[in-house]
Amino acid sequence: MTERSGEMRTQGMPDASAIVLAGGQSSRMGRPKASLLFDGEPLLVHIVRALSRLFSEIVVVAAPAQELPFVPAMVVRDQVAHQGPVGGLCYGLKATGGECSFVTSCDVAFLNSRLISYLLSRIPDCDVVVPHWQQRLQPLHAVYRRSVLPLLEGQLERGDLRPVHLFDRVRTCTVGEDEIRRFDPDGLSFLNMNTPADYEEALSRWERLGRSNLPSSAEPPVTCTVELFGVARLLAKTRAVSLSLPSGATLSHVYAALGATLPMLLGRVISPEGERLSPGYACNLNGLDFVRTTTATINSGDTIFILSADAGG
Amino acid sequence: MHGFHGRLLHVDLSKGRPSWHDLPERRLRAFLGGIGLGTSLLYEHAPPGVEPLSPANPLIFTSAPLVGTNLTTTAKFAVVTKSPLTGFIGDSLSSSHFALELKRTGLDAVVITGRAPSPVYLSIADGHVEVRDAAHLKGKSPAETEAAIRSAERSRGFRVAAIGRAGESCVRFATISNEGRHAGRGGAGAVMGSKNLKAIAVHGTRETSVANPKQVDTIVDALRERSLGSLTDKYRSIGTVANLAVFDRLGTLPTHNFQRSTFDDAEALSGETLTENHFSRRHGCASCTIRCERLFRSLRGEEQRLEYETLFALGPLCEIRDPEAVLEAARLCDLYGMDTISTGGTLAWAMECGERGLLPETRQLGLGFGRPEGILAAIPLIAAREGIGALLAQASRRAALDVGGESAYWAMHVKGMELPGYDPRSLKTMALGLAVSPRGACHNRSGAYEADFSGAVDRLRGDRGRGALVAASEDFAAVLDSLIVCKFLRKCFADFYGEAADLLTHVTGWPASDRELRRIGERINIVKRLFNQREGWRPEDDWLPSRLLTEALPSGVAEGVGLSASELREMIGGYYEARELDANGFVTEARLGELEAGVEPCQATRHGAY
Repeated sequence: MTERSGEMRTQGMPDASAIVLAGGQSSRMGRPKASLLFDGEPLLVHIVRALSRLFSEIVVVAAPAQELPFVPAMVVRDQVAHQGPVGGLCYGLKATGGECSFVTSCDVAFLNSRLISYLLSRIPDCDVVVPHWQQRLQPLHAVYRRSVLPLLEGQLERGDLRPVHLFDRVRTCTVGEDEIRRFDPDGLSFLNMNTPADYEEALSRWERLGRSNLPSSAEPPVTCTVELFGVARLLAKTRAVSLSLPSGATLSHVYAALGATLPMLLGRVISPEGERLSPGYACNLNGLDFVRTTTATINSGDTIFILSADAGG
Repeated sequence: MHGFHGRLLHVDLSKGRPSWHDLPERRLRAFLGGIGLGTSLLYEHAPPGVEPLSPANPLIFTSAPLVGTNLTTTAKFAVVTKSPLTGFIGDSLSSSHFALELKRTGLDAVVITGRAPSPVYLSIADGHVEVRDAAHLKGKSPAETEAAIRSAERSRGFRVAAIGRAGESCVRFATISNEGRHAGRGGAGAVMGSKNLKAIAVHGTRETSVANPKQVDTIVDALRERSLGSLTDKYRSIGTVANLAVFDRLGTLPTHNFQRSTFDDAEALSGETLTENHFSRRHGCASCTIRCERLFRSLRGEEQRLEYETLFALGPLCEIRDPEAVLEAARLCDLYGMDTISTGGTLAWAMECGERGLLPETRQLGLGFGRPEGILAAIPLIAAREGIGALLAQASRRAALDVGGESAYWAMHVKGMELPGYDPRSLKTMALGLAVSPRGACHNRSGAYEADFSGAVDRLRGDRGRGALVAASEDFAAVLDSLIVCKFLRKCFADFYGEAADLLTHVTGWPASDRELRRIGERINIVKRLFNQREGWRPEDDWLPSRLLTEALPSGVAEGVGLSASELREMIGGYYEARELDANGFVTEARLGELEAGVEPCQATRHGAY
């Protein structure tokens, strides 16, 4: 992700998932966008990898027979192909476990974690949070509550395939350009690729940013230590691991990273999807606070204990 | 009647005569079985002010409605008496096959009074009761006694609860043991020893009926399934010894007689290390799917059961860091039938006396912090009441009265019962739970620590609101202990009171409700307090040792955290409010009436030296 200056707000964020709509026809591009090589990997993989720093649950919505590169995410298929963004939104929201979801398409290479976090931080007061950039609402870079699903399904039944028609019927929070520029001054988040020329432009921009901006503007990662006790320690055969997480990481990132580092904990100590602790397990921050939510922010130097929730002896 | 037999056996050992009595349904419905029924019977059968080691003090064994239902973890029984350790109610639980056989005798309770002229054991087989000579069993361990009696009874169906040498010597923290488990805290073994009763053997053929067998089976199956999930993973995979390493890191592992709450060598003694280096096998009680027991093998090849409380008390509390020494000390406690927490607590007190220039006998024995040879030498002396053991057999509170000087400050007890392995300074809800528990410093009659470990409260700072949490936790524990369901199953209930009421309804046929169960929990706890009040409880008995209110924690994540008297007083005030006691903690007649406790109110009196 290209990170810029600004304020990260993830505390108090509800359980959120990410949805990537990948089922478009790519007709103007002339070849599947999801498989375009970007920074040495398929574009869809590039996007999912970027989102995985913020979300423990990522759903990719694809067309029924669409070929996809392998991605570390849940893939769901449209029941009816090419119903536009409303169809993809419906199938994606149905598949997620989170209270709300950040939705994007599979042709944007410059996702900005600070902007996404900011959009998520606005959702507690509304049903949809949508950026407004250069006189256009950006429904495919927006946050939707799962509760809007029935309305979207109604639109789908009526053949109304434009997401913006939802916005008048629910509590919609619009994020204006001034707010957006705090996190993404050039609006790269909305730079999508529809044609081969767009693709070439994006690639060269990426290279320019990589050379000039990325090393200096990238935030330092959060480094934390996870100490394992009881069953977790016996399974992992280690007392502690050090994890490097993206800036603004939450406990859900810790669990996901821990599951990736120590997969033997998945399905036993950590839920099979790696998003939370299994019932019966607890987390303590720095030996002091027992934390029950997955959205608590982790700071560099934190020590996280994974232990049994039951202290009976 | 379903779920119960409605019968009580009273044996007066002085006269050698048994008598049978009905237990009316109203009483069973008011107190259930286990700890609740035992509490009610103790209030009735103990003469006010009775001396705990006198013949008149009743030793009460109770069964419970869920015993024998196939519900996992319910093969349990309670032992209730006036405790020779505290002078207040002494209620303990033990488990396994003895519990199942006790229920099959057709009895819900056995009340034993009097004193046999010579060592005897009690044999109960269905309706046949016999007091038999046990002179040949004198000095034998509980395990040896069990084996000898089962052999003599010529039926493997008999199950035996016995005392060891500590019980015979009336060590005030002697246990009653069956199948390697113990009714451990409070010294019921000493009461049994004072009656010259070496053991009780039970065998029966009377199955208890349940009102709605199909519905019971459905609930039983669901709970069995849940008992095998992640909610009990700790107990199934490593056992309670898992607490030690994490308690150390949380700054709540009592060490060096509560001078610290972290232990430098915690990793050497951790449950994880023990599992890797010493694990022998996993074991469980009868009818239990969780099977929490862990047996560890010493270098000598002997298997020893170890729980967290034993590990902490014979390890960090005494600065013992060698797992071999802890295993051997635990083996000796089991051999003689002694509560490991009070043993460790009393030894740690003696070590501190020696460290500070009192009790010169400790030096002769090598009894000092970090010296395994000292505790291994002292435990047999306690069991036999020989040498310094005669002093230590009284436990820390009484021993400190004898030694004098500042030694009372180092005696870490509540109401005479040594503290378990949770440092109250870094677990403030637990601090309150320990201070007000009718049994003394007890981690089982409430699970107050759960609030501290939940993240819902600040574990390092107490407030008045903890009172309601502790009262609710005590009531929850009282219902669990009276149904009886093991506490290790407690988190498998999605809605404990609702599901337990359904279960009780289908077992007994009574239309039980969650509200009724909550009231039963309150009633049991109020009658416990009333019993203590009758036996001389005073407000100053609901308090913690001065060290905990004077010294802040010197190390670990909770370094610098202390517990002030005003903080404790505030929490206690909140507890009295939540319990609807008067401002000094006394039970009011109005409260008794509301709860329909069915016992006579009493004036607070102080009897004897307890």
